[in-house]
Amino acid sequence: MVNGAWVCLLAPLAGFLAITLAGDRITRRQAGILSTASVFVGFAGAVVAFIDALSREPDDRAVTTTAWTWLAAGDFKVSIDLLVDPLSITMMLVVTGIGGLIVLYSNGYMEGEDEERRYFAYMSLFVFSMLMLVMGGNLLLLLVGWGLVGLASYLLIGFYHDRSSAIDAAKKAFVINTIGDAAMALALFLAIAKVGSLDYSTVFDAAQSGELSDTVVTLLALGLLAGAVAKSAQIPLHTWLPDAMEGPTPVSALIHAATMVTAGVYLICRTHLIFQAAPDIQHLAAVLGLITLLVAGGIALVQWDIKRVIAYSTMSQIGYMFVGAGIGAYPFAMFHLVTHAFFKALLFLAAGLVIHHLDGEQDIRKMGGLAKSMPYTRWTFLIGSLSLAGIPIFAGFWSKDAIISSTLAYGGALGWILYVGALLGTLLTGLYTFRLYFRVFHGEPSELVTAHTHGEHSDEGARSMLLPVGVLALGATFVGFLAIPGVWEPFEKWLEPVVPPLVQATTAQDWFSSLISVALASLGIFVAWRAFQARRELVPDGFARTALEHKLWFDELYDVAVSRPAQLVAMRLRDRVEVPVVQGGLDEVAEGAVRGAAATASVQSGLLRTYALAFTVAVAILTLVFLVVR
Amino acid sequence: MMGPGIPWYLAISSILFSIGVAGVLLRRSPLIVLLSLEIMLNAANLSFVGFSRLFGEMDGQIFALAVMAVAAAEVCVGLGLIVAMARRRLALDVDTLTELRG
Repeated sequence: MVNGAWVCLLAPLAGFLAITLAGDRITRRQAGILSTASVFVGFAGAVVAFIDALSREPDDRAVTTTAWTWLAAGDFKVSIDLLVDPLSITMMLVVTGIGGLIVLYSNGYMEGEDEERRYFAYMSLFVFSMLMLVMGGNLLLLLVGWGLVGLASYLLIGFYHDRSSAIDAAKKAFVINTIGDAAMALALFLAIAKVGSLDYSTVFDAAQSGELSDTVVTLLALGLLAGAVAKSAQIPLHTWLPDAMEGPTPVSALIHAATMVTAGVYLICRTHLIFQAAPDIQHLAAVLGLITLLVAGGIALVQWDIKRVIAYSTMSQIGYMFVGAGIGAYPFAMFHLVTHAFFKALLFLAAGLVIHHLDGEQDIRKMGGLAKSMPYTRWTFLIGSLSLAGIPIFAGFWSKDAIISSTLAYGGALGWILYVGALLGTLLTGLYTFRLYFRVFHGEPSELVTAHTHGEHSDEGARSMLLPVGVLALGATFVGFLAIPGVWEPFEKWLEPVVPPLVQATTAQDWFSSLISVALASLGIFVAWRAFQARRELVPDGFARTALEHKLWFDELYDVAVSRPAQLVAMRLRDRVEVPVVQGGLDEVAEGAVRGAAATASVQSGLLRTYALAFTVAVAILTLVFLVVR
Repeated sequence: MMGPGIPWYLAISSILFSIGVAGVLLRRSPLIVLLSLEIMLNAANLSFVGFSRLFGEMDGQIFALAVMAVAAAEVCVGLGLIVAMARRRLALDVDTLTELRG
């Protein structure tokens, strides 16, 4: 179990190092193969750990292994620990399994791209960082992985570094994520000060036993939540995710849909004992998730960029996970994370096929009627869309409805608000998903599409691209059967020992809320179909549309409230402090040195005998001094 | 101990040293300056040897030999420079060589 975990963690790191060190001694294709192989070796390690864990008793599945003591300062010690338990194994399987498929897909997608080697090195680095995040056995290693995935994300969003929009997006993502990282680091400092350790169990025990004051626990949870919100692009720290679509499409699939952005959900589940000790903060997580899922669903209705629509739907689905984690339905939040990884990676990769086919066009207004020329893409995209909208048998249905029925079971005012909001969200999901689907694949082929259609069944992409899409489509269809309420619930049983849920919906509640949500999702699809046929937009012109098109003015607000004042302060500091004090001070020092040198230079007469005289006189004086002083 | 006492050696050594200093300070020909330097070095040698005799130790004599070796090397360089100056028809006068004035 432990060996499998180490292989899983180190294989992608080895891939990253090998590609980086080999430089141009390997071809681009070899770099791709190396990267793909390293991630799949990691997957094999994860599978070994998984099988090993299955063969054990459910209570005996958590193993911590320590490599060495990393930092030691007095009583405070941090070790290189790996924590292998059902929660981290789940994440390992998702990260390496889906990650491997996406890297395989990249081999075809990035073909002919300059700097492919750099791309694959970064991909391996990302997978390693993400594994570090989920396997780290203490809060500090978690933060290390947290920072590294942010770095990998930054590097990959800005991969097309000759496009200024990509560079801006990368910087934006990095800065906003840093806010979360800093908040998390503060929470960790607090834990060191008050608990004296960063080990999960020690911190959790302290939070649960009541030896910490309420304020401390609340601040601790708040810091962790801020980190989770920034990483998972939840309101109010969400503005970076849509811009992050500037990166290559497989990057969007891997980092900004399947794995990294869901790290916040993993964090809440991992540290649920802290959150349970601070219920207000946990409720805050649920409320933020609800707001995000509704706002993002609304904005997705009016976007024109195929990737941005999917990006907003990612925000919205992570909102569901936050709702689930916020009310204590951890296994279902994790379950939605897993199914979402499948169907969202599928949607992104299928969208990537479309974009690749149309030579980089992403505007859905120029698409249409692709169903005929790209049948494979169309059917897989349809599976992803149905799964996202929560239509039965597809994976998204089982996971999303489990969260919705949990809110119903949670009850109380909060539970009802969450329930109604989440149901409204399913309507929005059906609307925006199928607005996108119909726009792209149905109707008459547009000019652009006709121009790119050659023959009856034109080439949809390389085999290395089609295979992962097919595997993900199978996953998006069947993974949901891992948790059928009241019938077969292996996924919950698997996670229960680590993250025992606080709420448990009855089977009746499950089926009841499923009925409503499927009805609403179907209504959404139907309305989207009617609107498409009537060539109407879903949101009529007016204030609502303007607001949604401007993404509720979040960017503008941050620009006015944070960015501009910061620039103003920086400029003032430059004019008032930097130029006169720092720069001026240095100039003074330099001028003083010049003047001093000029004064000394006049002593240098160049006359040898003068020097000799000075020397002699000095020696004579010194001799006298020694004689007198003695 | 046979012969004159240590004060005599030191007296002659200091006289020689003063002659050397005066030569370096007062004469302008580089050849004479070099010569005066040699006188100063040998003044030091004389006191080394004198003390060596006084204490009955060999250290002072070894030092004197080392100084002679250094002096020989120095003369090589110094004379080489003077020859080079003469070849380029520069005035053999240390006061005219003031190119390093600051």
